[in-house]
Amino acid sequence: MRATRTPARPRTPGDRRRLAVLAAPLLLAVPLTACSAAGSDGQTTGPRSGGRLTFALSSDPTCVDPHQAATNDAMYVTRGIVDSLTDQDPRTGRIVPWLATSWEIAANASRFTFRLRTDATFSDGAPVDAKAVKANFDAVHDLGARSILGSGFLQGYRGTEVVDAHTVEVAFDGPNAQFLQATSTPTLGLLSPASLRRAAEERCAGPLAGSGPFTLAGYTPDTSVELNRRDDYAWGSPLWKSPDAARLEAITFRVVPESGVRSGSLTSGQVDAIAGVAPQDETLLKGQKVSVVGRANPGVPVALSANTASPVAKDPAVRRALQAAVDRDEVVDTVLSSSYRPATSSLAETTDAYRDNSPLLAHDPARARTLLDEAGWRPGADGIRVKDGRPLRLKVILGTNFGPNQSALELIQQQVRKAGIQLDLSVLSIADYQKARGAGDYDLAWGNGTRTDPDILRTAFSSKLLNLSRISDPALQRELDAQAAATDPARRAAHVATAQRRILEQGYQIPVFEMTTVFALSKKVHDITFDASSRLQFHDTWLS
Amino acid sequence: MTELTTPPRTRAATPEDPATAKPAAPRPGTPSRARRALAFWLGRPGLLLSAALLALVLLAALFPALLTSRDPLAGIPGERLLPPGADHPFGTDQLGRDLYARVVHGSALTLRATGLAVAVGLVAGSLVGLLAGYLGGRADDALMRLADVLLAVPGLLLSLALVTALGFGTVEVAVAVGVTSVAMFARIMRTEVQRVARTPYVEAARAAGVRWYTVLLRHVLPNAAAPVLVYAAVDFGAVVLQVSSLSFLGYGARPPQPEWGALVASGRDYLAPAWWLTTLPGLTIAATVLAANRIARALDGEARETP
Repeated sequence: MRATRTPARPRTPGDRRRLAVLAAPLLLAVPLTACSAAGSDGQTTGPRSGGRLTFALSSDPTCVDPHQAATNDAMYVTRGIVDSLTDQDPRTGRIVPWLATSWEIAANASRFTFRLRTDATFSDGAPVDAKAVKANFDAVHDLGARSILGSGFLQGYRGTEVVDAHTVEVAFDGPNAQFLQATSTPTLGLLSPASLRRAAEERCAGPLAGSGPFTLAGYTPDTSVELNRRDDYAWGSPLWKSPDAARLEAITFRVVPESGVRSGSLTSGQVDAIAGVAPQDETLLKGQKVSVVGRANPGVPVALSANTASPVAKDPAVRRALQAAVDRDEVVDTVLSSSYRPATSSLAETTDAYRDNSPLLAHDPARARTLLDEAGWRPGADGIRVKDGRPLRLKVILGTNFGPNQSALELIQQQVRKAGIQLDLSVLSIADYQKARGAGDYDLAWGNGTRTDPDILRTAFSSKLLNLSRISDPALQRELDAQAAATDPARRAAHVATAQRRILEQGYQIPVFEMTTVFALSKKVHDITFDASSRLQFHDTWLS
Repeated sequence: MTELTTPPRTRAATPEDPATAKPAAPRPGTPSRARRALAFWLGRPGLLLSAALLALVLLAALFPALLTSRDPLAGIPGERLLPPGADHPFGTDQLGRDLYARVVHGSALTLRATGLAVAVGLVAGSLVGLLAGYLGGRADDALMRLADVLLAVPGLLLSLALVTALGFGTVEVAVAVGVTSVAMFARIMRTEVQRVARTPYVEAARAAGVRWYTVLLRHVLPNAAAPVLVYAAVDFGAVVLQVSSLSFLGYGARPPQPEWGALVASGRDYLAPAWWLTTLPGLTIAATVLAANRIARALDGEARETP
């Protein structure tokens, strides 16, 4: 059944290279074949089973439970542990079967019926059946805000009904068009019912049993995560080269927060691949015997999200002035590299239903000054504007998960200072950052969100969900709800387009640049692939 | 970092009565005072260099505009990551800010924190030591056991814990660092006070019916203060290092304020493409610490040892 939906076609290196050339301009999936093609010159060794891949992450996963994992670094780890009901083709965006062999969507997108394959098992021996699927969706729903992504995916979740041993029906209170894509993410990946019975905090540290091609062998916070191959695995995604056991025997993820140390570890051969290549290291690494590969992340670009409940940031004029005062091109040219691009909308270009809104994001310092003058913000003695005795100072919180964060914000700080806006930067650990966002203790929060489905706008801006930005905007809410309900892609895209404009016009978000996932691999690593969300898939990876 | 420094050597040669501590008048046949001073300084080029460097750092802290006319916060993106050269003696950082201007302006923040930290340690430590040494008995036991506890916890760990509780910022860092050196100051002060308290002139003052706090402030404190002040000089170097460590870890001033430790921290992502971002501020810190230690050693009786 799987084969009929996506014909498994043997691919040759040349074939893949051609595909890569075609796909690159579209910034869709680029299998990392540049290195495998180069590596095979002169040596005829094909894909080989065995070996341990050592991969350096830029930040601690903090939680290895796929349902709760919120950072990309954590998801590189969890993707190997769990399988999903569906998978998404990074080239076409099409949803293909995986653990579910087929599915039906009721006309109003509020009921989804999945039929499961019968041979899959969890690594603790339990079968992957309808009861397990129900237990998983119930568990993610029960996590609530602990699952930052999952709570958005399952918004309006009514329940899962076990129709028979291998058929489930997931029901929502209202239409939920994004749910099918959500089932392809590791966040809605399946854990064994035994693992789900443990408390949420305990699950974060492992052990966990999933049905994925790798099993979690150990997690030492701030140090490493160990994965081992599961030898009896035979239900891989049709997008992979084979549905059978992975080629790598084991993977060690090592947490190396310093970008310079990561690059050095790679060039000295201490690790085989690294995530989060710092822009300033890209040219240096390219000169050495490593490949640097990047893919733009779909979803919400790296942006300053306003806390519209804060006394200063609630003024739309301030937010609009910020929108005009930020020079995005300068940020990209100065702090980043040619792998990155300035933001052109409230969604990144690789997201479905993206619309180019670059005129709204043009750098226009004069407009910024006019907006603030009109709103009554008058220049104060030290150049910072004042209104009703309140200075125009905004507290910006930022995490340390992306190296250039601080440099980028120091540059933006300098740019908006010319318009009379003072940004106070507060550099926080990931845990403190999430706490501060939850508590609303900020004016602007720096960050991005990765997802291929435009519904990420609803996750970020809907007042019915977590609503970290504390937005109350019926006009925007209407569009966000409408796109969630629309089953017709064209109508959905129209609603998404209106929402994108509205978010920028109201300045709920000041997008700056599109996040790009940049990896570097030594020449002996082959076939690490990006999934549709620019996260890594290690099933096909092999070492020469 | 107090554990890295050596406490001042006890000076057996120190005269008991402070009245005789004045330098002896030049004996006939010895060179004049000016020539001796010249010989002292010329024989110690390291000390001379240290004094000059510390004077320069103080100048930078008090009057940064004398040393650089550039704005430490204004970056010119077109001039980013330039290596050290004629225009930019220390090169420029990733945003095109002049690193020399940032180091010069950063010295004010770093030295302010250092001065405050030493002051906290000196004042609080001296007070504790003075009371413990003079009162003796239970008060002494209680205060000194408290000092033992402070000494038992590693200095950096203690200041990390304190700064986490106090919040981030230059003043908070200074207080957190200062508290870690309180115990050492208290110990030294207590020893000196115990020695001075047994001298005949203190006993005479007591016998004459002078009130205890007057004895303490007029007779004991001035005569017990010298070693503590010398220790303050020794501590200075270590405190510069500790303040920079905390600022390196991100507990200091908010970005983009150029504290020395923060400069090293922000440059470490650019170790390979731009060595100067870490090396030059790092060398500045190292040179300041070494200079402070060299001067402290000179204060600790080196002048008296000269022939």
